[in-house]
Amino acid sequence: MDFQRLIRTLDMFWEKQGCVIVQPYDLPMGAGTFHPATFFGALGPQPSKAAYVQPSRRPADGRYGKNPLRMQRYYQYQVILKPTPDNVQQLYLESLRACGLKLEDHDLRFVQDDWESPTLGASGLGWEVWLDSLEVTQFTYFQQVGGMELQLIPCEITYGLERIATYLQGTPDVYQLRYGPTLSYGDLHLANEKEASAYNFEQADVALHQELFTRYEADAKRLLAAQSLLPAYEQLLHCSHSFNMLDARGAVSQAERPRYILRIRTLAKRCAEVYLERLGALPEHAKSAKK
Amino acid sequence: MPSPRKSKAPSRTRREATQAADLLFEIGTEELPAAYVPGLIDQLCREAEGLLRDAHLSFQKAATYGTPRRLVLIVRGLSAMQQNPAVDIRGPSKQAAFDAQGKPTGALQGFLRSQGGTLAQTKLVASPKGEYLYFLKPAQDIPATKVLPTLLPQLVTRLKAPKTMRWDESGLRFARPIRWVVALYGRALVRCQVGRLHSAALTHVGLPRHPKTLKCASVAQYLQGLKRAGVLLDHRARREAIQAMVARAALRAKGRAAAETATHGLLDEVTYLVEQPHPLVGGFDAKYLQLPRELLLASMAKHQRVFALEAPAADQPGALLPQCVAILEGPPGKPAAVRQVIERILNARLADSLIFWQQDHARLPLEQLGAQLSGVTFHEKLGSMADKSARLVALSETLAAAWQLKGQEMQALRRAAQLAKADLVSTMVKEFPTLQGVVGKYYAKDSGESSVVAEAIEEHYLPVAERLPGSLIGSALSILDKYDSLSSYLGLGIQPSGDQDPYGLRRAAQGIVEVAWAVRRPLPLLTLFAQRATLPPYAGMAAAQSRSIQQKLQQYLLERLYTFAWTGAPTPSGDCIDAVLAGPCDDLVDAMERIVHLQRLAGHPGLLKAAKVIERTRNILKNAKVHQAHVDPARLQELPEKTLWERYQAQAGPLTQLADRKAYTEMTTAFGEAFYAPLHEFFDQVMVNVPDEGLQQNRLALMQAIHTLYTGRVADLSKLACLQQPQES
Repeated sequence: MDFQRLIRTLDMFWEKQGCVIVQPYDLPMGAGTFHPATFFGALGPQPSKAAYVQPSRRPADGRYGKNPLRMQRYYQYQVILKPTPDNVQQLYLESLRACGLKLEDHDLRFVQDDWESPTLGASGLGWEVWLDSLEVTQFTYFQQVGGMELQLIPCEITYGLERIATYLQGTPDVYQLRYGPTLSYGDLHLANEKEASAYNFEQADVALHQELFTRYEADAKRLLAAQSLLPAYEQLLHCSHSFNMLDARGAVSQAERPRYILRIRTLAKRCAEVYLERLGALPEHAKSAKK
Repeated sequence: MPSPRKSKAPSRTRREATQAADLLFEIGTEELPAAYVPGLIDQLCREAEGLLRDAHLSFQKAATYGTPRRLVLIVRGLSAMQQNPAVDIRGPSKQAAFDAQGKPTGALQGFLRSQGGTLAQTKLVASPKGEYLYFLKPAQDIPATKVLPTLLPQLVTRLKAPKTMRWDESGLRFARPIRWVVALYGRALVRCQVGRLHSAALTHVGLPRHPKTLKCASVAQYLQGLKRAGVLLDHRARREAIQAMVARAALRAKGRAAAETATHGLLDEVTYLVEQPHPLVGGFDAKYLQLPRELLLASMAKHQRVFALEAPAADQPGALLPQCVAILEGPPGKPAAVRQVIERILNARLADSLIFWQQDHARLPLEQLGAQLSGVTFHEKLGSMADKSARLVALSETLAAAWQLKGQEMQALRRAAQLAKADLVSTMVKEFPTLQGVVGKYYAKDSGESSVVAEAIEEHYLPVAERLPGSLIGSALSILDKYDSLSSYLGLGIQPSGDQDPYGLRRAAQGIVEVAWAVRRPLPLLTLFAQRATLPPYAGMAAAQSRSIQQKLQQYLLERLYTFAWTGAPTPSGDCIDAVLAGPCDDLVDAMERIVHLQRLAGHPGLLKAAKVIERTRNILKNAKVHQAHVDPARLQELPEKTLWERYQAQAGPLTQLADRKAYTEMTTAFGEAFYAPLHEFFDQVMVNVPDEGLQQNRLALMQAIHTLYTGRVADLSKLACLQQPQES
């Protein structure tokens, strides 16, 4: 099963489970959780089911294409199910079988991992899913998003597609994976992985990203005041990416780090509030707490 | 696990006894966090016993078990009848129960309805607050099958985990989602509801790869079914089985399990990661053996939860082998392929570690690494880790003086204090936070620091898991680091309350006491604080405020003694600790020595004599105003006071010398021996409170001199409980 078919197989599997198959968001983000389908989908009392592939940018994880497990840009496959079906673990295992994994052959474990995204004010309880001791999926029951206790508990399943593909194709090296019938994953991404690692670690303009962070943050606030929700959220995504760039460049000291994160979380929280206000679903205590 | 309980209820009739049956309650969950399971198993047992007892349901024995997927309660011989004794239940007052015409009010009717009683079953009882109506609830036998459906769901909600979650609209909270519930009494299903779930006589095995449901019509059938499916339900047996698996696999690999296996917590963790343990031996590239042992162990344990092996050697520990044992959840279809992946991942992780190791080495010496500590915050209001290091250096001088360290030792302590935190900026510690200190030790050695300094850097984070610093300098630094944290946070007004202790201050205080006791060197709290008070957050603080924090800090440390696990000494009683803490406590370790001496004397007639002397002198001094500091021998009139004074003059020197030598046992018995009889005589024949004030003051001064001769050095024995007991003699 080549990489593009793996994505298609998961699309088809989750479509059958009633998910809307949305497309990757067209802004850089560190994880599929930042996609509005998950961030806003998790909030509020309405059911929501979506699945999508999301290229994820983690500038500090670049290894110049030399590490078979770490990349500064890779593909997450993200499923968000709200409310969580009772058989969600079984559904997940079926999806792995649908991709062609013979679970009988392997060792599979759900190992505690209480997930948290401090920038999004999101947290949940769940596991890393281990396939033969390699984490292939993050499985989380969200409890909070944007600092808000969730009314309906969603389950987020985040597949590490490259890692799963290494099992399906029997190649330990990500760059050797068949992407499609004619191209390898390396053909498509290796050159950029090297170039981007150099950019992230050596070339990126620190002053530019510092300024971008500040200006995007100011713009997000302005837009939130104007009740322009998705545009404001997009500025938050820019902020988050600039922060990740600065971090990779070693331009964030230990002392500054929590402050940057708090600035982004403040925006995330406000976005969540505005969204819930529109749904008429903002909890009473949140109303009184905000200025 | 508690022993089988005998029912306290009156003896059963034969019919009831034969009706007793076993109860099975299984909470089937998605994978519980390994660290939570042991606590949940214990709670389940405790809560079940409590609830059953409160419900007047007798039983022979309750036992609980747990795996990642299930928490199981089995109660043997649970009586079929709930036997409620007769009780009188208080209802409304007479005024509230009846109206002016003497008719029952709504309040009374409501009360009777709620109790299921009639007016004929009530009576009026007078009390100081007036007359009240009581419902005389008769003894009542209710079948267990009626009680269990509400009792079992209560059990679930009583279990507490460190973190809980919601997963569906029932809003039920638990450590992970509950997916099935089995509840059987004898062979009958107990119908109950937990959240949205209904109980069934069906359990699940083969999770997660081969899910199967199993009918269970009885406890025996349930246990047999799990066994046949390969589930090792009993966690203790499972732990032993895993340990044996690792040992056997190690033997085949011509090695043995690494010495740390039992102590590192990995065995306990793995016990609760799988319910059908299955071993698999793997290996890694031998070139990684150049990495430190602790790092290899951490890498294997943290990332993959596999057990390290070492060469069999006469000494502990042997050199590590490039092999490991993984414990899988059930046998995989293709073990060779699984092994390949495990090895590949392990090699990749170790390759990463080696790169971090090399990158860090390019940044050595350690001192240079430490220069970046100013960028690491200790606490917003207390500055950076560089500031903390500077404080440790400053405090090290005070402690070095108190411990009378020699020049070289003093230098080593100073140097270790300077470098203690430097490894926090290394990539290695960022990757493996638990290796803080250990990494510092290696980097110190590789930077040319002495082994004393290197060792102290590692040991200053101890005690951890009962391991104490082994070296003198390590002990000193361990105490200083914790003292600095404790004094810093208390200085900011941060202190633990209830179960909230985010900065681990209780553990820090406990650690100070443990290390100080193990090393048995003085811990002068006042001098140490005098040094600490010149630094933030105390610098510039009003003297009164700083003094009050000092007292709080001292108090906080001394309070630990009540719960301290005294090694190599009998556990002291509370009154013995009270007595010593009422004496001088500037030196914590000296106070601890005195506690041990007094405790060893418990029941000794010499101690009782000394205590009587202290008690009697204290009673006379308690309400007196003593203006005269010293005894004036010229004013001594009666023979008994002269004898007492002579005794004092003869004994004060030798007794003080005993105290100086910390020979508190001898000091105590000698003190009692010296003064008990003459003081008795004195009180028999001499009045202290006489009209002649000069005479009275002189006698009080004599009492004071004798009293403080002991209490000023050892303890206020008037706090001892043995004084309250009736005495012969």
